[in-house]
Amino acid sequence: MTAILHMRTWLVRDLNILLLAGAAVLVAWPFVADDAYALRLFTQAGIYALAALGYQFVFGHAGALSLAQGAFFGLGAYIAGILSVRFGAGFELTLPAAAIGAATLAALIALPVLRLRSHYFALATLGIGQVILLIAINWESVTGGANGIPNVPALSLFGGTVGRGWPMLVLVWSLVVAGALCARLLTGGLSGAALQLMREQPMAAEASGIDIGRIRFAALLLSALYGGAAGALQVHTVRVVSPEVLEFQVMVMLLAITVIGGRTSIAGAIVGAVLLIHLPEWFRPLERYYLMAYGAVLLAMVVAAPWGLMGAMRRARLHWLPEAPPPPPSAGPLPARHPPARLEIADLTRQFGGVRAVDGIDLAVAPGESVGVIGANGSGKTTLLNMIAGAETPDSGQILWAGGDIAGLPAYRIQRAGIARSFQMSKLVEEMSVLDNVAAAAWREFGGPDQGDARRAAMGLLDLLELAETAWRPCGALPPGLRRRVEIARALVGGPALLLLDEPAAGLTAGERERLAGTLAALNAAGTTLVVVDHDLGFLEKFAARLICLDQGRIIADGPPAVVRRDPGVVAAWLGQAPAKEAGHG
Amino acid sequence: MDFLQLAVNALALGAAYALVALGFVLILNATAAVNFAQGDLVAAGGFLAVALAGILPVPGLLLLPLVAVLMAAVGLAVCAVAYWPLRDRPPVAVFISTIALGIILQNGLNGLFGAEPRAAPPLSGSGHLEIGGLVVARQSLAIMVVAALLIVGLRSLLWHTQLGRRLRATGQDREVAAALGIPVGAMVALTFALAAALAGAAGLLLANQFFITPTHGTDFIVKAYIAVVIGGWGRVGGALAGAMLVALFETVVAALADYAVATGLLYGALLAILVLRPQGLFGEAEGRRA
Repeated sequence: MTAILHMRTWLVRDLNILLLAGAAVLVAWPFVADDAYALRLFTQAGIYALAALGYQFVFGHAGALSLAQGAFFGLGAYIAGILSVRFGAGFELTLPAAAIGAATLAALIALPVLRLRSHYFALATLGIGQVILLIAINWESVTGGANGIPNVPALSLFGGTVGRGWPMLVLVWSLVVAGALCARLLTGGLSGAALQLMREQPMAAEASGIDIGRIRFAALLLSALYGGAAGALQVHTVRVVSPEVLEFQVMVMLLAITVIGGRTSIAGAIVGAVLLIHLPEWFRPLERYYLMAYGAVLLAMVVAAPWGLMGAMRRARLHWLPEAPPPPPSAGPLPARHPPARLEIADLTRQFGGVRAVDGIDLAVAPGESVGVIGANGSGKTTLLNMIAGAETPDSGQILWAGGDIAGLPAYRIQRAGIARSFQMSKLVEEMSVLDNVAAAAWREFGGPDQGDARRAAMGLLDLLELAETAWRPCGALPPGLRRRVEIARALVGGPALLLLDEPAAGLTAGERERLAGTLAALNAAGTTLVVVDHDLGFLEKFAARLICLDQGRIIADGPPAVVRRDPGVVAAWLGQAPAKEAGHG
Repeated sequence: MDFLQLAVNALALGAAYALVALGFVLILNATAAVNFAQGDLVAAGGFLAVALAGILPVPGLLLLPLVAVLMAAVGLAVCAVAYWPLRDRPPVAVFISTIALGIILQNGLNGLFGAEPRAAPPLSGSGHLEIGGLVVARQSLAIMVVAALLIVGLRSLLWHTQLGRRLRATGQDREVAAALGIPVGAMVALTFALAAALAGAAGLLLANQFFITPTHGTDFIVKAYIAVVIGGWGRVGGALAGAMLVALFETVVAALADYAVATGLLYGALLAILVLRPQGLFGEAEGRRA
């Protein structure tokens, strides 16, 4: 029900006038040019739009340059073609078979391929396409070899025939609309923000409880489902299936549609497909060179407008008709805090090459404690924090938390267990608003495309951290002091029992440090356990009742600040020969 | 066919592929970006040789420097159009811009020359030589010698000249190179020129024995890409070894089984390497930036 309500808001309010006008032209156009060829082109555009909508899941939203979408499309075409020619199957069977067949291939390749880095992922997916093409050409008894399978029957649906021209066009575009609505539900609003966080700041996304591996898997699967379905439509439209559908040209076409239309915009996939399918017609005067123009358009787009046509339109609209930011949402209740737990680290070690960054550390932090961690650069502070938060895997040792050993667990699971963190170099999505940066971290809790609840929850945290004024400002425009606070607000989204902060006061003015220390003291007083790495003793002393000093991966002092700062070992290792200063920056 | 005979063919094909892969790695190291148009530059070089041979009826060996120089100019244009405006964007932007450039090159060649396979003149004459009972095509021999000379020449340029040191410094760390006063932009442009010249040379060498069509570029880039991944991302020596391995599959394995099986096995081997040893057979280059 909320999904339907949400959809209505989207259709009525969020879509801009230009887009509706464009859609009206598109719908009217086949009526104006009512000849068989025009209808055929328009049907073709719908088929490519569906495949491109699928491609957006993996390339646009998950940010992985897959070159397998053409293979999913072609495989779908072959499955549908073979089933309908050899077994007389109707569309009610060939469509799901093609979509599921392609998704099965995606699931099979996902395991080895998805963890590869970008250029390897691109090649591996390209290779899979080539293997499928090779099989199609050489497995003649099934695929018809290089000539393919001619005479694919007209599309039949539950016994009735859907003929060429208008019937096929309506069927194809109904599926495009259905596909677009599904894509909107899966990737719109809050989900879109969370996916953007995952693309641009993967470490921060994992630290916000987002399981990137699972999402990339789902994205590849969805892209294959859409691609396979589009392939089934293709084979029933062109009525033959041949290795041509598997050639690299198809993949390039889908890539071009997505880049030109807009990588994450649903309207972009549709506009891109209609444009690119018709582009050769408009470039016909160029004769043999018209395909060159198509490459030139793609190149110009990548260079001049990487956000695509839809993105360019949005930018133009914001430039000429700037919108006043809406009033910030009312603040929702603060997230429920995980039950307090004791952190107990035993013999934790991590080596980089020959250097022991963390060398057999034992450390216990009681629930509700507030601990400052000091030490020279390279003494192992960040490595220790990273291992507790799951960003790095210990070589050996235990990290006990809430009754289990969390050492080596992925970051998103540690976040879900109630341990949150901030980063030394702030990891925010620069062009996204402060409010949405925080709300995106609440995706797991609020899910779905509707942003309302997550934004209200985020607003509560912004109030807590005195950030309410900045709610709609893009993070990229904030001074360092405010960025630190946004990071902390985001870390608090999951209601952590333990908060790990990595140099939260670095780059802050004296006044900002004072305020931040006050905020942290208040958080601690409300029950959140703190472990804060910093160089500024004066800052730490304002809220930490206990200080730990690291040197060369070991704890050399542990106790109340007044004791630790006079410890001769600490003075020698960290403060050097000079007497302790208030704001010792090392 | 005799095994030795096959080995000679593999070596000749591998030598030409090595030139393609080498250009790919040069650009990769200088920019951290994949130049997907590298294969289409090979096709362009082949057709350039075909066209020049129509005007100047001289052996391929004399055309080679001309093709290399003209292709170097094309390389500069590639750099200016598809790389330079995107230098501060994620590497995937260049991947896509060079795919677009590949489309332009492919269809430009198709418009100029048509889709028919064409052959460039042989390097120094056709016919066969008999060496110790082994019949070797003169062209195969010439390919090996020319490719080896080019590779050795490139190596000494990179390792024994001031210019080479600057090029390598740019590839290792662009910020540091710039801080040291190296004109980084000029070095990157030069890298593109060198890579395109190598691709052009490979085009001329391949376009005699194997003919050439405008759409051949996709095959070449896929092979170079595979060679570089197998040999270790960013590793120059690894790219040469990878190119030889790809050629071995296409000649020896193809003769033992058939071409489709050999290609399938090559992709199978590639996927296995990606899964089991993603750093390539010889490890990724030190200080890689991709």
